[in-house]
Amino acid sequence: MTRRSLLEIPSGVQCFFGEEARSRRDIERVVADVFRGWSYEEIVLPLFDFDDVFTRGGEVSSGDRIYRFIGRDGEVMALRPDFTALVAKVVSSRLARQELPLRLFYSGEVLRYQPPRAGRQEELFQIGLEHLGTGSVAADVEVILVAREALSRLGIDDAVFTLGHVGFALRLLSGIEDLGTRALALEALKRRDRDGLRRVVGAPALDLTDLSGGAEVIERARRAAGGCESLDRLEAIAAELSALGLEKEIRLDLSEVRDFDYYTGLVLEIHARGSGLELGGGGRYDSLLGRFGREMPAVGFYLSLDRASELLAKRGITSPDAAVSTVRSLREALAARKRGERIVVKP
Amino acid sequence: VTLTLALPTGRIFEETSELLTRRGVRLPESARAGRRLRIEADPFTFVLAKDRDVPTYVEHGVADAGIVGADVLAESRPDVFEPLDLRIGGCRMVVARPASRPPGFYRDLSVVRVATKYPAVTTRFFHGRGIAVEVIPLAGAVELAPVLGLADVIVDLVQTGGTLAANGLEVDEVLFESTARLILNRASFRLKVESMRALLYRLEEERVR
Repeated sequence: MTRRSLLEIPSGVQCFFGEEARSRRDIERVVADVFRGWSYEEIVLPLFDFDDVFTRGGEVSSGDRIYRFIGRDGEVMALRPDFTALVAKVVSSRLARQELPLRLFYSGEVLRYQPPRAGRQEELFQIGLEHLGTGSVAADVEVILVAREALSRLGIDDAVFTLGHVGFALRLLSGIEDLGTRALALEALKRRDRDGLRRVVGAPALDLTDLSGGAEVIERARRAAGGCESLDRLEAIAAELSALGLEKEIRLDLSEVRDFDYYTGLVLEIHARGSGLELGGGGRYDSLLGRFGREMPAVGFYLSLDRASELLAKRGITSPDAAVSTVRSLREALAARKRGERIVVKP
Repeated sequence: VTLTLALPTGRIFEETSELLTRRGVRLPESARAGRRLRIEADPFTFVLAKDRDVPTYVEHGVADAGIVGADVLAESRPDVFEPLDLRIGGCRMVVARPASRPPGFYRDLSVVRVATKYPAVTTRFFHGRGIAVEVIPLAGAVELAPVLGLADVIVDLVQTGGTLAANGLEVDEVLFESTARLILNRASFRLKVESMRALLYRLEEERVR
């Protein structure tokens, strides 16, 4: 048997120190302040729960990426791979009597097995919010405004918000009877693999993989595939955002369906130049709460603290550090601290 | 806006550079010399990469787009957009067996020993059919493995089948046809919409002919 050194680390784990740790703490604080400014209340969620909270709660596509263990009473438990299912559970139980809409935010790590690839660690730090109990366009727009303000307070003023609506693509694919075939089509769509999609569904009137751009894509989709609620809804959201001055920051992409199967409406991806990976994302999930016994519409998003921190570092945006005064004794230290100074004790 | 394009220097390099040239994307001579690995030729920056590294560069976003064989994508399954089959570099991913053995003979083995450069593709294929497999990963000259008795069959990319025949092997089954794909970084697709679209349409035009 080979002995493992005590210093060896398991794959996927990481630690942060120095400037990076400071920056992460600052980011968390700035974003939380913005969330509170819009009256989102913090909710501190458990690190693990029964496995089926996440699998039945919608984490299906990443079901095989969950860290599981057997709890003390023999139940299968899971380290949280996602916050949204936990929020849905708490809102359906502990917060069942609170007045709607509920505005909640969370901040912490989620854990998933990840293939060792592009910036994907197994611990991911997410700060996100959920707006529950309102199905309106106004709620969809509100969460995008909050996301934009949070990024802009961090110094990221050029974020691009890509909006889609899962209802549109799913309507077009719902004609495929065979579930296996439909799953293949969806996979091809996620990769924007036009030829792959054609092999599955034949050549359609509308190229589903190429529906991104400005407001005109909605018109194009409508002409080719007929109008529907999803298109009207997305159009209304985009119009409202434009009216509020965000026209340049938003793009539409009707091909976007995201990875979680619980989304039912708006889907959102956030990118900014200099980061090859998404800074955040989210969407509307009107049927998730029903799985926990309390039907209600909901919309939310998360920001990746890891990627925001990397991007800020790349752009050279650092949080200024307070000046330090050196004191010679602990007595001096107490006095200086009373004045609120940052000190270092060097006897 | 400059686009960074990762090109594979391996098997499909010639066909790739011919296709780009036909479509008016000029690849500087220095790219052919093969010494410089990053070449600026406005409006593109070319990155010359090992075939298997192309998806890595694109997934991380240090290259906005890349050209790579479907065989490589099937093996590494990167999280990128794959909008276009460029229909060049055509090959078949096959199971090949010694010509002396009957077709599908490996199904009668309790565990099949398979030599390959594509362990993930191999495992998915055999496990998908409920066949236990012992993957023997090799970096090249996979055809040698059955000859030396290291493996029962091989999974490999085959163009003409010449190398197979020369080593007493023949195709048992085709897993999939592999051609070159254009792949795009997900973030670049959002942030550099116009240039990405332009590149896509330019290469697509080629294919329609």
